[in-house]
Amino acid sequence: MERLERFELLEPEGMAGLKIDHEKCTECRMCYVACREININAVIVSSTAQHLLEIDERCTYPKCTVCLMYCPAEGSIVEADTGRSLVPPPPEVWMENLRWPRSP
Amino acid sequence: MSSLNHDSAATLAADLRKQSEQDAGVTPMDAVLDAGRTGTLTDDQCFRMLSHLWTLKRIMYYVYGGWAQGINLNEYPPSVAYLFGKQIYDESTHEMQYMDEILRRRWVRTQRKLFDHPYGQFNTATRVGGYIFCLRSLANYPQNIRIAALNLGPKVIELAWTERFAESFPDRAIAGIFESQLAETRSHILMGRFQVEHYLKKEVDAEIATRLCAETRKDYLFFLEETARFTLGMKEETAGELQVSADID
Repeated sequence: MERLERFELLEPEGMAGLKIDHEKCTECRMCYVACREININAVIVSSTAQHLLEIDERCTYPKCTVCLMYCPAEGSIVEADTGRSLVPPPPEVWMENLRWPRSP
Repeated sequence: MSSLNHDSAATLAADLRKQSEQDAGVTPMDAVLDAGRTGTLTDDQCFRMLSHLWTLKRIMYYVYGGWAQGINLNEYPPSVAYLFGKQIYDESTHEMQYMDEILRRRWVRTQRKLFDHPYGQFNTATRVGGYIFCLRSLANYPQNIRIAALNLGPKVIELAWTERFAESFPDRAIAGIFESQLAETRSHILMGRFQVEHYLKKEVDAEIATRLCAETRKDYLFFLEETARFTLGMKEETAGELQVSADID
């Protein structure tokens, strides 16, 4: 089964599971690149003059944690509802079967 | 070889910008804006427009890659490289924004699919190709001259029409994209002014910059004409149909 079809099985949760903390984010854009690469496209450039990155409702966290694998800035990606920092990823998030989205 | 003093360079920068502003008073994109205002612009036409603009921005990587090879050791102070790096980053941001919007609206499902889509393909025998190769060929010139040609030429025209779109384009999400880009595009124009004022030191370079700026303006306007025709579903221009006057003719 080609990778695209597997990802299409990952339905978004309805609201963004993750949020970017702009105080900590360095705008390196690795999360953008990684999310785009796997065709989830939940990381976007905001339509503000600062062009900060944001994560929208297409994010499938916790089913996908790929952005956390590539983020270099501690504290810059957090859980949207709890505010818990996910960079570096806590052990229970950084599990082999969650590193790259798999079909359920 | 006679040299240029700072005041003359500043006058040159102002003149180039003023000439570009005159060209920017009315552009082919105004036809798209008019269609938008009358409520006749369809989703597909917005897709066409953003795709064509995206195609230009993504091929700018090719242009700037060629230019970057031509920034030689000790030729300019580091500030020239900083500004160039920032300009590349900004163009990349704009490319990302157009792609984001196309994906958000599900006009294509993935980024890769837009490369294959007829709206997103880059074809060399087009006005976008002509403009890109015009810019790419400026890699033969020193950075101060080619930045003058681009940043005080097409960038001024780009600012003008994107300002009008930011203000009046009826789809406010798309208008917001253009609005967010204005400060960056303005910064490129100011970077161009700065580099001409400080680093353009010979009269012959001033003459070359003036000529090249006229060429890039002309090719950019042709690109905008193609974009507008493509967006509105008009027939492609025929050979010789369009004339853009420039003092190089």
